[in-house]
Amino acid sequence: MSLLEGLRFTRGDSLIHRLDPRVKFLMTMVIFTSAILFMDLLPLLTIFLVQIPLIFIAEIQQEWTKSMKGSVFLATIIFSTNLISYYFFQSRSLNTENVETALALTVRFLNLITSFSLFFLTTSPDKLSLALEKARIPYEFNFAFITAIRFVPVLADEAQSIIDAQRSRGLELDKGSFLTKIRNYIPILLPLIINSIRRSLDLAEAMESRAFGATRDRTNLFELVMEGRDYAVIVISLVLLAAVIYMKLYLPPFEPLFPYRVLI
Amino acid sequence: MGIIEVRGLHYSYPNATSQALKGIDLTIDKGEFILLTGPSGCGKTTFCRTLNGLIPHFYNGDMKGEVTVTGFNVREHPTYKLAQHVGLIFQNPDNQIFALTVEKDVAFGLENQGVPKDKMREEISWALETTGIDHLKDRATHEMSGGQKQRLAIASILAMKPKVLVLDEPTSFLDPLGAERIFRVLDTLNKEYEMTILLIEHRVDLATQYVDRVIIFSDGQIANQGSPEEVFTDETTRLVGVGIPRVIELSDRLKSKGILLDRTPLNPTMLVEQLQDRIKRENASRKAVDPDLDLYTGEQWVNPIIEIEGVTFNYPSVDKALDDVSLTIHKGEFVAIMGENGAGKTTLVKHLNGLLRPQEGRIKIDGADIADLSVANLARKVGLVFQNPDDQLFSENVEEEISFALRNFGFGSDVIDKRVDWAVNLLDLERYRKSSPFILSGGERKRVALGSVLAWDPEIVVLDEPTIGQDYAQKERLRHFLMQLRTQGKTIVIVTHDVEFVAECKPRIVLMADGKIIADGPIKKVMTDKEAMARASVTPPEITKVFQQLSEYGLPDNVIDVGEAVDILSQVLEAST
Repeated sequence: MSLLEGLRFTRGDSLIHRLDPRVKFLMTMVIFTSAILFMDLLPLLTIFLVQIPLIFIAEIQQEWTKSMKGSVFLATIIFSTNLISYYFFQSRSLNTENVETALALTVRFLNLITSFSLFFLTTSPDKLSLALEKARIPYEFNFAFITAIRFVPVLADEAQSIIDAQRSRGLELDKGSFLTKIRNYIPILLPLIINSIRRSLDLAEAMESRAFGATRDRTNLFELVMEGRDYAVIVISLVLLAAVIYMKLYLPPFEPLFPYRVLI
Repeated sequence: MGIIEVRGLHYSYPNATSQALKGIDLTIDKGEFILLTGPSGCGKTTFCRTLNGLIPHFYNGDMKGEVTVTGFNVREHPTYKLAQHVGLIFQNPDNQIFALTVEKDVAFGLENQGVPKDKMREEISWALETTGIDHLKDRATHEMSGGQKQRLAIASILAMKPKVLVLDEPTSFLDPLGAERIFRVLDTLNKEYEMTILLIEHRVDLATQYVDRVIIFSDGQIANQGSPEEVFTDETTRLVGVGIPRVIELSDRLKSKGILLDRTPLNPTMLVEQLQDRIKRENASRKAVDPDLDLYTGEQWVNPIIEIEGVTFNYPSVDKALDDVSLTIHKGEFVAIMGENGAGKTTLVKHLNGLLRPQEGRIKIDGADIADLSVANLARKVGLVFQNPDDQLFSENVEEEISFALRNFGFGSDVIDKRVDWAVNLLDLERYRKSSPFILSGGERKRVALGSVLAWDPEIVVLDEPTIGQDYAQKERLRHFLMQLRTQGKTIVIVTHDVEFVAECKPRIVLMADGKIIADGPIKKVMTDKEAMARASVTPPEITKVFQQLSEYGLPDNVIDVGEAVDILSQVLEAST
């Protein structure tokens, strides 16, 4: 779960937080594409190192460290399955090249996690919805998205109250065989579902009372406006993307970092 | 013509067997502030829904008669049009907030109407200022307290500049101070901006002090209406089962003893003004009851059953939710824990059956340290009933619901049958044995939840906010029920901020603020400890407010209920005429 910590928005007022979400998305996509294009350790490590100062500018190092720690398990699996498959499906031996490729794929995975953290940790759902609106996604979808996020803490509280109430009535959640354990959750899930249905009626009434759907030409309190720094980031991102593609297409492939040696 | 005109309104919900509204005729003039009250299920909420067209547009069903609001017939105009003229505010603030930040939520209605940005900014800052939450503009909505959320809900409706404001029990989830703030906001809107306000409330004591007219609903009809003086002194109102504001009740009962007042008092000050000249100081001090007498004659307790010693608890997000709390409760005692929302009351009672474990300190129940006992084990002794019955009801029928805990505790089927019979009788649920708990009314659901805990006969009964959303008759019933439990020797702990309820039950009071116990003792002592009461944001009962003002005439200042007040006043006033 701590892997997902890296995707939860944390409030802040850094340069990265203030970037237009569309621009930030472009930036993230450039990092993402570069990471996908290469299979070699050197460029992938470079991409990784480039992102670290960005993490510090955004002041999200704590959350990012958490998600890195959370990724250790998956990263180990990626690394070892690669090695194992080289060993068993290719040559029944391992060399430095194999290790380097396995390492490169692991770093690629960490790159993807980092770039996504960089985007989601610094982009408030509100801004995200503004971006969606600009992308002409119908407002109803947008509204559903925001409402879903809005009710996460409310539902979490409610689930806790229900668990407390049922435990107070002697329900022991982790008692019994696998099947009984599942059945134990019925007294938790049913009130949760029924309350949600009740709540949705309440919400619908409240929406009507706030003139939801009164006009097709909705206005918006906040609007996304691109500023100088946004254009600067666009230019830098596109130049980097061009450079990466050029490197991939016209320059010779990267030399391995370690001299060739058979390990096993 | 009034701003709201209702003619011959009948309505029944789809698939309902009886009518929810049975012929309402009503005219409300511009600028009126109206209190609408009546027992649960009398059709108040249904009536509100007709005012902005939720009925008949959102709820179909069968509607007869005409409703016209600000000149628009609700039948002919959709709710989103009417919403610009009539603002509806509901009971649960959480279910009417749609945005992640305060400012954005206030904007929601305006955005929906396509109001241009500059105009929107103006309306928003006006709405935030009027409700007194402009300093919270950038706050995340889920970080606000209940009172702040409800003020936000009002602000969000205000921003749309409706001419009529309809509020359906807006203060029922709030502590007394939060409720008073809401009333003051409404008062400003009514007086300064001539807004017409229709308020549904069970807490008549507070509301009466602000409104021009009271309308009593009963069984889908208007049972009584008029000025608060007329309505609350009229016998019809009493028969319907509506609470009478304590000061009016006091003056009424003085009247029956031959002591007449010139004007019916609507608030403590009005009563005091009329009494003060008629009290003779020398008589008063002679007739007054010794204020400390109760301390000596009160019950004496010897067997501690709950011992809390130096308990500290932190939530991940809240430091010191409990801060070195020590409390001893004895067998057979009746204790009310009071204080502001977030003072730590619920956190404290969740420690009693092990739902939460102290991070420091320890707790003993019946002499045994509970650190090693499971919740299921402790629950046998400590029955905890939560505020919202809907957080626990899930069974097919009432009988099943009540036997759920009994089965968890491993009782045999013959014992279960007996206990269910007992609980069903105790809570007067015999009729509903085989009904689904979900079709019952709010008050009945609350009783089922209570029964499902009492069924296993726990020695200690803990009730979290038992009076929330309950009407006068239901509260009376609960009070009698608690007294009955006491006679059975049960230890009862309630968490509440209903001062008037407490004034009638007279438990020992434990006041909490900021995770600490700041006062503890007999109700008369605690309710008159002005400093502690202010710190815990608990307002004294209405009758105590009267006597605190009269204390300079030599009367005791620790009178808390109407009966006692009548006794004392009839003595000193007779002597003075």
